[in-house]
Amino acid sequence: MMLAWQRERVSGWGMAVGGDAEVVRPTSADEVAACLQVADRSGKGLGLRGSGCSYGDASMNTGGRVLDFSRMNRILDFDTDRGVARVEPGVTIRDLWRRSIVDGYWPAVVPGTMAVSMGGAASMNIHGKNNFVAGTFGEHIRTFTLLTPQGERLQCSPTENADVYHAAIGGFGMLGCFVELTVELKRVHSGRLRVTAVATRDLDENLEVLDAHRPHADYLVGWIDVHGKGKGLGRGLIHRADQLAAGEDPEGERMLRPELQDVPGRLFGLVPKGWIWPGMWCTVKAGGIPWINWAKFRAGLKEATRAPYLQSHGAFHFLLDYVPRWHWAFRPGGLIQFQPFVPAKEASRVFRALFEMCHKARLVPYLGVLKRHKPDPFLMTHAVDGFSMAMDFAVSDGRRERLWRHTQAMAEVVLAAGGRFYYAKDATLLDTSFARIHGDDAVRRFRELKARLDPQNLLQTDLARRLGVI
Amino acid sequence: MTHPGETCIVVGASSGIGAALARRLAADGCKVALLARRRERIEQLARDIDARAGRRLAMPLVHDVADTSSVDTAFDAVEAELGDVTAVYYVAGVMPEVGADEFDTAKDVQQFQTNTLGSIAWCNAAARRFLPRRRGFIVGISSVAGDRGRAKRPGYCASKAGQDVHLESLRNRLWDKGIHVTTIRPGFVDTEMTAGLGLKGAISAEQAADAIVRAARKNKGVVYVPFKWRIIMGVVKSMPSFLFKRLAFLQ
Repeated sequence: MMLAWQRERVSGWGMAVGGDAEVVRPTSADEVAACLQVADRSGKGLGLRGSGCSYGDASMNTGGRVLDFSRMNRILDFDTDRGVARVEPGVTIRDLWRRSIVDGYWPAVVPGTMAVSMGGAASMNIHGKNNFVAGTFGEHIRTFTLLTPQGERLQCSPTENADVYHAAIGGFGMLGCFVELTVELKRVHSGRLRVTAVATRDLDENLEVLDAHRPHADYLVGWIDVHGKGKGLGRGLIHRADQLAAGEDPEGERMLRPELQDVPGRLFGLVPKGWIWPGMWCTVKAGGIPWINWAKFRAGLKEATRAPYLQSHGAFHFLLDYVPRWHWAFRPGGLIQFQPFVPAKEASRVFRALFEMCHKARLVPYLGVLKRHKPDPFLMTHAVDGFSMAMDFAVSDGRRERLWRHTQAMAEVVLAAGGRFYYAKDATLLDTSFARIHGDDAVRRFRELKARLDPQNLLQTDLARRLGVI
Repeated sequence: MTHPGETCIVVGASSGIGAALARRLAADGCKVALLARRRERIEQLARDIDARAGRRLAMPLVHDVADTSSVDTAFDAVEAELGDVTAVYYVAGVMPEVGADEFDTAKDVQQFQTNTLGSIAWCNAAARRFLPRRRGFIVGISSVAGDRGRAKRPGYCASKAGQDVHLESLRNRLWDKGIHVTTIRPGFVDTEMTAGLGLKGAISAEQAADAIVRAARKNKGVVYVPFKWRIIMGVVKSMPSFLFKRLAFLQ
């Protein structure tokens, strides 16, 4: 059956950037190959899209064509002895853990939402709250099949076509289409984690606490009150979570049931969570964000006095799924995220400078999230031996241009300190940033691979054009 | 309704709402027979369902709904392998492109065969088996298109209206015999069948499947999916003909 290209608006998850494109949703590798041929002839360029969870323009191809993998979503095999899944690219993190948890496996790396697809996770080489110990998603991909724009199916692993393996993972969809991936999961003995909260008074204490817990923790994440000023600049609440050993949790086995991992659908057991976003919208419009941050910080002080408690994997990891469509609270302008990765020795100075720039410009993010990272072996890596600070900004027509200039000025501070950026979150970096992030040698090698696998530059996205990659 | 361990037939399971429905039912632990013409598609779907469940739940069976004489054979084959069927979901449907000046009887016959006669044959076969057991569920996926005769797709609208009325008759015939008949009228759903139509505000097949299963579990009679289409179609149905035919955006 001939697939129909449908003209539709394709937006980043943050809704701040978007544009029309012709979209098609193949269901098999053969259909993907057919789409590549048609797209090749049309000459409009083709962007690759998974679940569309990238905040910015990473899966957009405005004016061109987009290959959406959401219907190529079959789990092909799950080896319950080894915890290895063979999947199609449209399978989501949710699909994967729902399958694996009953057999005592959990995806080795998960982001803040379970909607992310396997193909998208590989293309952007996503990370989770355990990046400092487990590395990125790509480090748990054993093999994958990459369908190149020339119709070649490359089998890739750390030892086979290793150059393509290390460049396509994190290669933001520039080298080919993932049509099958083999992913390794990790063993868990309980459906719950032991969570410990630590309140912090300022930015430096956050960094110190993360580094102090790093040698023994399984997961670490910090919420930062970006509205705190003066002595309270960068204050927040750190959550550490640890896996439980076999027999440590008497309810552990029962909690491996998938229905006990899903985030609850109702607030206080009554209000459907799908109804919450209009209330959040009103809060945003009424300027209530600083008060929400203040209240969360106060609540965090109380939470930190509690003894460690048990929480399901789903509830700990998927904070972005707690309130369905919460990003609609930022309609109509949407939101962008600015997430710099800064080497450890520069982190305190750089983050402090960024916060001060935000307060001075009166462009303060509504949310800040701090994580610890370690380097990974991929060519287009965003990771450093240091910290990342994700900052979410609401976008409105009145301040859009100013916000873009503001984040570009902040990016300059980060790049001067040897920092990097994560393209799943980016919407504003300039083309001059690309080589500074990765270094001339990595950029040259990436471009050589692009020329070899996609000589006609068929694979394009708004992100790649903005960064001057093609 | 469709508790774990129950056995369902999904007719038209190769893509769209049918495939999503099959996955949704299997996720609840139901055994699911996947019926469609495209062998490769249903076999791939069956492998996916089994891989997700970690055990065998899906049974692919090639079947052409236009061949109404083969329905009993297919039904028996499913029951022989999976045991007594407790629910039949009829999802099969076709909606070919129709040009503005096209009056193609063959296309209309094809739509009636798939959308109406296929549904009637499967519902009858289900009713015959469910009656002696005094238990069973029949869920027919009709369409909002069956509510009014629109200019763009006369054959599709008429075939869905026919299916819809047959389902209503069955519901009235069987309601006191332990057999529930649910009519689902989906509005805009993003599927392979509707690709290229530029439907604004379409829900995903997975969202539709979820709503269908919830409606069937509650033994609902007629359900619009999503709910807003009940309001939209309430207005459209109450519109006088002289006005309706002049409103191009509704056609």
